[in-house]
Amino acid sequence: MIQVENLCRRYGPHTALDGISFEAAPGEVVGLLGPNGAGKTTTMRILTGYMPPTSGRAVVAGFDVQTQSMQARAAVGYLPERVPLYPDMTVAGYVTFWAQMRGIRKARTAAQQALEQVDLWDRRRSLVRSLSKGMRQRLGLAQALVHAPSVVILDEPTIGIDPQQVIDVRQAVRGLGVKHTVLFSTHILTEAEQVCDRVIILNQGRIVAHGTPSELRATLYAGDRLYVQVSKLNPEAALKALKSATGVARVEPSDGGYLVYGQPNIAPGRTSQVRSRRPAG
Amino acid sequence: MIGVGTVFRRELAAYFTSPIAYLIGAAFLLVTALVFNSNLTLALTQEPVNPAIVPNALSFFLIFFGPVLTMRLLAEEAREGTLELLLTTPVTEVAIVLGKFLSAWVFYSLLLAATLVYQIILSNVTQPETGQAIAAYIGIWLYGGAALAVGLLCSALTESQVVAAFLSVAVLLLLYLGELAGQIVASIDMANLLRRLSMPGHYIGSFASGLVRFEDIIYYAGVIAIALFLTLRLVELRRLR
Ligand SMILES: Nc1ncnc2c1ncn2[C@@H]1O[C@H](COP(=O)(O)OP(=O)(O)OP(=O)(O)O)[C@@H](O)[C@H]1O
Ligand SMILES: [Mg+2]
Repeated sequence: MIQVENLCRRYGPHTALDGISFEAAPGEVVGLLGPNGAGKTTTMRILTGYMPPTSGRAVVAGFDVQTQSMQARAAVGYLPERVPLYPDMTVAGYVTFWAQMRGIRKARTAAQQALEQVDLWDRRRSLVRSLSKGMRQRLGLAQALVHAPSVVILDEPTIGIDPQQVIDVRQAVRGLGVKHTVLFSTHILTEAEQVCDRVIILNQGRIVAHGTPSELRATLYAGDRLYVQVSKLNPEAALKALKSATGVARVEPSDGGYLVYGQPNIAPGRTSQVRSRRPAG
Repeated sequence: MIGVGTVFRRELAAYFTSPIAYLIGAAFLLVTALVFNSNLTLALTQEPVNPAIVPNALSFFLIFFGPVLTMRLLAEEAREGTLELLLTTPVTEVAIVLGKFLSAWVFYSLLLAATLVYQIILSNVTQPETGQAIAAYIGIWLYGGAALAVGLLCSALTESQVVAAFLSVAVLLLLYLGELAGQIVASIDMANLLRRLSMPGHYIGSFASGLVRFEDIIYYAGVIAIALFLTLRLVELRRLR
């Protein structure tokens, strides 16, 4: 559904994307994870046909974003980083407008379905300016889904909304993976793990890691850290016991107890031997 | 063209749902009403009635009405981020620009049509020259289209509506003053050129006195075409930034 080959994008002398390649299969939810300025938004803007790449190729739903731009755009739903709103329109009018722009014939029906999907149908007559931030985010999502696109691209859809709505949006994104291929970006590792089938980690315009959440966890995990106090054993014996436990990399005396560092690249829980032996303190 | 109608309808509806547009409309009708009223009293007592008086006044006031009617069109979209989304829909930039321009021109046409009331009043009290009135209205309608196209162009240059309005007032003022500049320049060729380039230069001498000339129509069509073309280029440039 999405194929990206050696994509580069420069802004003047500054290189925002430095030859990234990845793919997304139909029905897959792929996360783009990375710090500020990593190039997530730039990648998405190229895939949605907003801006051309400096070099490289991107194919979306079988259409090259440069040579078959119109077909590619028709197949994509996009929620930009800052939700694009027309404050003076009604909720239903807003979604209907985008449906028409995407060439949907029964725009009103499509708008109704999309609004029901994001649970905003009962607010259809409200003005967009009167919606809360979380509702605006969902309205943006409705707009991105209204034309039943085969590829949905969401730029940080959970930014700036309350934890309950974050959960709702994550579930909604997770649910999209049934019918759509989803590419979404986030700063938050746990969010990517919860929502995605596959995660791509970007930094400074390059892909630094790539894999399923559990694979990434295995390669990136820095290890557990545990604070232990020992009361019944003498200090040397305690130190020895802690050091000999499996999965322990290092033990440092600290503040009347010990800081126990688990070995890196071991998923959490594997240092359980330390945990189970933890003396009462 | 796909999408022109959709953009056009949204923009036209935006005029009718925005309080600012109502204010502009009210100011437009107030200004024309004052001009008409003062002229009417004068005309009844002293001179013969000039049926082109309202369009003539608009040839000046459009310097302000053009910009305020168009300042929102692209600047607002850029600021709200909706332009980014518009440019990812399967609708061309041409359709977007055309839809926006047409909505402004139609809204202006409706305001202009409202001023026809004065012609009806006039025809009840005297016998105005209908031919001259028609020519003047055709002229100011085209003139308005050109002013709105310039306003749209300025709206594409910036994300701030205020800056867009100031810019287009400045540009329209220059295009207006060409007529006056033509009178103070020593060289006759230069004066003629300036007058030929000025917006009123193609209205005052012809449409206003009942003359519909092909070259004047071409002039306004040309201003519209050039302004829309530049607007299109500016919108396309947004993609590259
Ligand atoms: N229009 C632009 N002009 C110049 N430089 C830009 C532009 N847009 C982005 N950049 C630069 O490109 C780099 C990547 O930006 P991008 O917006 O893609 O990052 P991001 O991963 O989306 O970051 P964030 O998490 O902050 O949204 C940054 O260094 C940014 O400064
Ligand atoms: Mg971003």
